[in-house]
Amino acid sequence: MRFFKQSVVLALMMICATAFSDGITLPAFERVVLVNGTVLLLNENHDVPLIGLEAVVRGGATADPQDKHGLASLLANLLVKGANQRSAAQFAEAVASVGGRIDASADLEALSVSADFMSRDAALMVELVADALQRPTLNREEFVKLRDRSINLIKSAKGSDPNELMPSYANAFLFGDHPYGNPVGGSESSLARIAHGDLLAYYADRVGGDQLVIAVSGDFEIASMRDALTDAFGDWRAVTGLSPAIPLPEPAENNRVLLIDKPGATQSYFYIGNIGVARGFSGRAELDLANTVFGGRFTSMLMTELRTKSGLSYSARSKLGRYSQSGSVFIASFTETGTTVEALNVALATLSRLRDSGLDAAMIDSSRNYIMGQFPPRLETAVQLAGTFAMLEINGLDTAYINDYDLSLSAATPESIAAVIDQVYPASDRLVFVVLGDAASIRDQVDQYGPVTEISISEPRFHP
Amino acid sequence: MALFSELRRRNVFKVALLYSLASLLLIWLVGGALISIGAPQWANEFVLLVLAIGLPVALIFAWTYEITPAGLQKSLDVDQTQSMVYKTGQKLNAAVSVLAVLGVLALVGQQLLPTFEFPKIIEPILLAPEYEVPENEGVPEEIRAFTLDNGLRVVVWPDHDIPNVVMYNFVRAGGRNEYPGITGLSHFFEHMMFNGTDRREQGEFDASMEAAGGANNAYTSKDLTVYQDWFPRSALASIFDLEGDRLANLAIDPDVVESERGVVYSERRMRYENDNFGRLYLEMNAAAFIAHPYQFPVIGWASDVENWTQEDLENYFRTYYAPNNLTMVFTGDVTPEEIFTLAQQYFGGIPLQSPPQAVRTVEPEQLGERRILIEVDSPTPLLHVAFHAGSATDPATQPMNVLLKLLVGGESSRLHRLFVEEEQIALAVGGFQMEGFDPGLVYFYLTLPPNADIAVVEGRLLEELGKIAAEGISAAELEKARNIMIADYWRGLATIDGKASALGKAEVFLGDYQRVFSLPNELAAISAEQIQSVASSVFDSRKMTVGVLRSSVEEDAQ
Repeated sequence: MRFFKQSVVLALMMICATAFSDGITLPAFERVVLVNGTVLLLNENHDVPLIGLEAVVRGGATADPQDKHGLASLLANLLVKGANQRSAAQFAEAVASVGGRIDASADLEALSVSADFMSRDAALMVELVADALQRPTLNREEFVKLRDRSINLIKSAKGSDPNELMPSYANAFLFGDHPYGNPVGGSESSLARIAHGDLLAYYADRVGGDQLVIAVSGDFEIASMRDALTDAFGDWRAVTGLSPAIPLPEPAENNRVLLIDKPGATQSYFYIGNIGVARGFSGRAELDLANTVFGGRFTSMLMTELRTKSGLSYSARSKLGRYSQSGSVFIASFTETGTTVEALNVALATLSRLRDSGLDAAMIDSSRNYIMGQFPPRLETAVQLAGTFAMLEINGLDTAYINDYDLSLSAATPESIAAVIDQVYPASDRLVFVVLGDAASIRDQVDQYGPVTEISISEPRFHP
Repeated sequence: MALFSELRRRNVFKVALLYSLASLLLIWLVGGALISIGAPQWANEFVLLVLAIGLPVALIFAWTYEITPAGLQKSLDVDQTQSMVYKTGQKLNAAVSVLAVLGVLALVGQQLLPTFEFPKIIEPILLAPEYEVPENEGVPEEIRAFTLDNGLRVVVWPDHDIPNVVMYNFVRAGGRNEYPGITGLSHFFEHMMFNGTDRREQGEFDASMEAAGGANNAYTSKDLTVYQDWFPRSALASIFDLEGDRLANLAIDPDVVESERGVVYSERRMRYENDNFGRLYLEMNAAAFIAHPYQFPVIGWASDVENWTQEDLENYFRTYYAPNNLTMVFTGDVTPEEIFTLAQQYFGGIPLQSPPQAVRTVEPEQLGERRILIEVDSPTPLLHVAFHAGSATDPATQPMNVLLKLLVGGESSRLHRLFVEEEQIALAVGGFQMEGFDPGLVYFYLTLPPNADIAVVEGRLLEELGKIAAEGISAAELEKARNIMIADYWRGLATIDGKASALGKAEVFLGDYQRVFSLPNELAAISAEQIQSVASSVFDSRKMTVGVLRSSVEEDAQ
């Protein structure tokens, strides 16, 4: 592969890179609010005989107790391990026997159940999703099995590509005890502390019809799908245990370094960043234009410096995490152990250049063309469209978020972009460094960037 | 005889010889120049015509006129005692000799400079397109295919749902075309295809494409190198210009080669050295194949990545990036007519080359199981098991795909349900079949819990595979696998990217893009008996390679 795109990046892009090219708007969809507060979003699309469904419950890993990270994620996964009259094996068999797919997962601010079925099996799909959300068995044995397996999969990931775990270490070190620092999948130690009762309590308090958005797109007739979903979800209970408001996180005021020791690693993996901005940030267009140029595409400043010109790394990116109240901004790259400092310095110099020079007119033009040119394929399938409708609803955004995006990109100027860069990308004296590598080789080098906290990769946690 | 003597005296024969030699040289030089600037065939024919008309004119001129100290005079007017025809003849002899020597030198030079050769295709004139229309039932009627005179194969599937286009360029070059010393070169070349041409600096290809709204990527496998562009319709002409430029004018700058070695090394460290799955996978292939080049890692052995030469790269490009070795697919917001016109314009003039040498080595039959062990620090052990199987066109390949859906296709699959959910002897299990030009492997990979008894898991895997061979599968299982594959088929065709990928793979591996659409019928024809028979022939422990990766085990006390 010439370069890889991490799933994390793609997920973020779905949320932040937004809009169609000229003359195209988000397809029309019908919005229905059921009496219990459940919101339905429906869009017909007969391109292929498939239906995509996205059911989103507000909440997510930010509602995990501080010592029990991973709870929301375990719950999401357990929703499809048996529901109503079906055991876990029977549920999986019912999905696969018709060639369907159902995935359940959590992120920081939601639980999701996604389904992707042939249109002839629409009724079964609605039945299975309704069972998973409203009548999950939440069986104790299945819970223990899932929890123990999740712990071992994290252990296993520590012997795999370190890029997988870097976001967990980076968010934990940047946000600390703030809920946005919670590792969504938990850590080995936090998962071990979760009891079956915790999971039942989370479900009873937080998962209900008033927290639910269901978006469906694909090969069906709106009237019959609306009726089927209304029948299936209209009576679902409301819940009372709403998540506490998320406070604003404190940005780092000084440099600090987290060093994760992986003895024998031949490469150092690093993140450099600070607190970023929320999804509703007013300078969103400017930020997307800047981030595309800085580290969001192949010819970005970071890729040019760390890969094309120097051969120091295979990949270098700038990642924006954007949540409801705040977010993160990180440079992410890796290099051979022996060139760790050289690569870190190149990354820092490139960040300084972005802050000092900003974007000129040609860069802005290229960035806008790129964002708009790459956008339509992100809304091509039923699953993608359903996900987008649900994302807008959950975040309280209207279609202008997509349909007017091109206008706001076009309105950005070098000056407005410079102001956003100054606000979002951290200065060189307030940076959080997270470096994973062979500590014996680089311990005495990375301390030049700030006070070092060290943790072994074999420690069963992500927070130092 | 008097006429003959007079012809000879007046140097008519020598003029004829000189004229002919000069004409031959001229045709050769001018012809080559015209081709290199892309002039059409009629330009060459025009030069030939002028030279042919010139011959009788020159001969009549030689007969009629004579060179004298006083200048050119009619032969009849020259005082024969003062005639210089002999001296003129000597000059003509000298000129003939010089031209002859030049001609010989040029011929020898041409032999010594193998890069200078006449392109075989010199007709980039717009011809009436000869489109192939779909013939098989069930194939969307809007699809068109054509082959340019230089052998470039193009398939177009118009789809106007979104204002975007996808291009895939399938190059028949991959790990199987390598040998010790150049392992990894196909993949490295994939990187070099983005690093500049005679017309564009390093980085310009990507900068131009992204500024026009396009993005690209590429991947290399054991069989192919595949280039992908995703772009808005408005960038169509730019994409053809960029792609045509790198196919015709690629530059292989030695400095860039050195810097790109660093990039590929970083990729190698990421995917293989610092990832236990990748580490085991490389050695499994090296153990399962002892003769066929599928044994080589696509990323290359480290020492080869360090040492391949400029010459290796140039030879590779010339051999494998010829138009007759490529298949391009365009899907999305385009018409076949515009793709044909642009392909002619930008790719039509690229000369075809002799086809690459066929891969001759056939893997000899494996006659007993092979085992490898990798001892590295690993929090969880890995177990990989591979069996020799068929190529993409083997009749057993599709039944094996059906079987793999039943064994490892998701949460309800046999091996996941048994090993992960019920017995909890594995954290994860997966598997796939290589579907390449040559016979490949059916490959299973399991992630085990810490402290797992690896031998027990291996025994259970073989037991379950043996059950399929002994007892077969149920009708319900067959129906489930078919449904999964039909749904996946539609998921693949839901995007212009999936369409391009599917058409191209069918065209390249199965010889016909239309095979994409026969999948539903092929699946319907597969029986449970067929699957059982494929299982019993493939899951044979004598054709098996077993690989284990784990931390080193401390010696037990005696």
